[in-house]
Amino acid sequence: MTFGRNLLLGGVLLGLAAAPASAQRVEVQWWHAMGGVLGERVNELVKGFNEAQDKYTVVAVNKGNYDEVINGTIAAYRAKRHPHLVQIYERGFMTMLLSDAVVPVHQLMKEQKYDVDWSDFIKPVAGFYTYKGNLMTMPFNSSTPILWYNKDQFAKAGFEKPAATWQEFEKQLYAIKAKGAAECGTALANDYFWSLIENYSAINDQPFATRSNGFEGIDTEFVYNKTKVVGQVTRLKKWLDDGVLQLAGTGLSPQQLFASGKCATYISSTADHGAMERNATIPWSATFLPHEADVATPRNSTIGGATIWVLKGHKAEEYAGVAAFFNHLASPRTQVWWHKVTGYVPLTNAAYKMARDEGYYTQNPTREIAVLQLGRGTPTENSMGFRFGNFTQTTFALRQEMEAVMTGKKQPQQALDDSVRRGNEILRQFEKLNQGKY
Amino acid sequence: MAGSRRESGLKRAHFVEPRVAALLLLPQLAILLLFFFIPSIRALAQSFLLADPFGARVQFVWFDNFTALFRSAEYHESIWVTVWFTLAQSILTLAIAGVLAFATDRVIRLRGTYKMVLLLPYAIAPAIAGILWAFLFNPAVGPIAHALHTIGIGWDPNLNAADALILVTLAATWKHICYDYIFLVAALLALPPSLLEAAAVDGAGPLRRFFLIALPMISPTIFFLTVMNFVYGFFDTFAIIDAVTRGGPAGATNILVYKVYQDGFVNLDLGSSAAQSVILMLSALTLTLLQFRYVERKVNYDV
Repeated sequence: MTFGRNLLLGGVLLGLAAAPASAQRVEVQWWHAMGGVLGERVNELVKGFNEAQDKYTVVAVNKGNYDEVINGTIAAYRAKRHPHLVQIYERGFMTMLLSDAVVPVHQLMKEQKYDVDWSDFIKPVAGFYTYKGNLMTMPFNSSTPILWYNKDQFAKAGFEKPAATWQEFEKQLYAIKAKGAAECGTALANDYFWSLIENYSAINDQPFATRSNGFEGIDTEFVYNKTKVVGQVTRLKKWLDDGVLQLAGTGLSPQQLFASGKCATYISSTADHGAMERNATIPWSATFLPHEADVATPRNSTIGGATIWVLKGHKAEEYAGVAAFFNHLASPRTQVWWHKVTGYVPLTNAAYKMARDEGYYTQNPTREIAVLQLGRGTPTENSMGFRFGNFTQTTFALRQEMEAVMTGKKQPQQALDDSVRRGNEILRQFEKLNQGKY
Repeated sequence: MAGSRRESGLKRAHFVEPRVAALLLLPQLAILLLFFFIPSIRALAQSFLLADPFGARVQFVWFDNFTALFRSAEYHESIWVTVWFTLAQSILTLAIAGVLAFATDRVIRLRGTYKMVLLLPYAIAPAIAGILWAFLFNPAVGPIAHALHTIGIGWDPNLNAADALILVTLAATWKHICYDYIFLVAALLALPPSLLEAAAVDGAGPLRRFFLIALPMISPTIFFLTVMNFVYGFFDTFAIIDAVTRGGPAGATNILVYKVYQDGFVNLDLGSSAAQSVILMLSALTLTLLQFRYVERKVNYDV
């Protein structure tokens, strides 16, 4: 009893202390996963919004990495102490969509009388998060993998820049190592499953799973063990055995292998621009991801990153604050600023046009690669994106099987067969639980 | 015996009032209830469910979560990894701590300094210790890995399952030696010096004195430490695994407790994770009971 009373008393005191600040302003809580420099940018973004008007205060709280944020959100929601906004990675889309815990962003903006031109959101981003024709969550940080390279090391080996096809690119990497221009050809990023398997499938128009990679139904099944992915994995294993490909492992970031000049190339997110500009001591540049020589028209790559979901169960005036914040976030001016300071792609065509008209891309050509690569050609059912339930879990199985290839425990075909089998079991669990919901 | 009679007399004299005893037990029981019984019961309930993480949809699936585990090759592998890891770690920790304790027991000069240095690792947070080990043994930048390469050992815990398992075993051992060491030093200090001196006079060297006299006399401590080492290996090594290998490569260091975390908190498969934690709890319980039943018989408490 005393304990309860003390808690109550503490709450009252806290409320009193906070009263002067929140008397006029309505507070909106936002949990995010942006640490380090990106975390500072989020704080600047929120500060900009809070200073631009006097009705709402957005409070941004870093709750750790993406896994920790979604976990914290679930625990908080179950205890009914959840924030208004949460930043959730793209792999959590289905979990959030079918959680019965969210307010779709298109609905929220309509209720709050904001007339948002959703069609101006760039296709590869909007398409990824659209369900039955409507955007379900507010796109925030979207990126796509690009190919970073060391200009000096390429020049030393007699190349101008990385080749457009995997076949030619492979020859270049072997030559770079043989001629001693660099110790290793390429460093393997931690999210290689995203860049070298998923995006590889999209760009080369290979099906990753049935039912348009899951967009058409939760009865989707993985099929990447029967596509060019097998050849891709075999190639990566060969590079690894020949010392052309290097792993960083724990205790070291793979980006350091590239940024320090040890490896000549690095395939990773365009959002690494911020870090490259700050940390790299080498003359770097970037270009499009390679494609297979026998694929005549390489398709668009797909996005990764996170969105901001709106959670149910709060007061109407607080949702008005959420809508005002989203309106601020989507404005071309905010988007161009965010694009420039982080390296993430701009969310709307208007923002992209604004950056281009400023001459930003003539000065920073590598900043445009991601936008161009995402918007390249007409998306096919293999390049729209990936939509799977329990996506984090199926990705984990894929990574474990990929490690089995790297350690030599399994042959590529067998590992991919096992990965697909394990992944499909996980998909069937999701289907069983969510029958008729999607 | 005088001791036991005094004890029972004490009981009768002071605990006639059972309510006082209950009251004194209450804080401990409250803690157990909050942090052990309630979570255990909830885990048990969850292990029979297939549920979405937000709790919007729940299906009762009987033993599906358990049968799926017993069918899964990854789970079998995780069991074996755990057995190897825990055994190796327990034996290694006890052996090294034993040698160090016996050695510092004989040192006169700077004994305090030695003891302090030996206890330092215990003060380092497991996650920090893990990152330290991961860095020192990183094949690309780690100084120790580099030294190993120069003497012709192709060390690479990123690509070699055995190397990874050795690395986490060493890191976990290093972290836990101090714990065993403190208890062993205390046990050795409690030995009557006259016995050891008598043995020395009779011509027994340090090794003989250790194995024939000290060891049997500190067997209760060794038994206690064996149990504690197992519990440590089973449950407390999570942070080290997370920092050093994250259970990889290809599940080579994915011990059961790490898999519980991975499946529950990263993959959000709550049913399977709960089932795993129930199995883990039962096996730890069984193991400890077995240790008390069979190993304790060989322990000599009559010093």
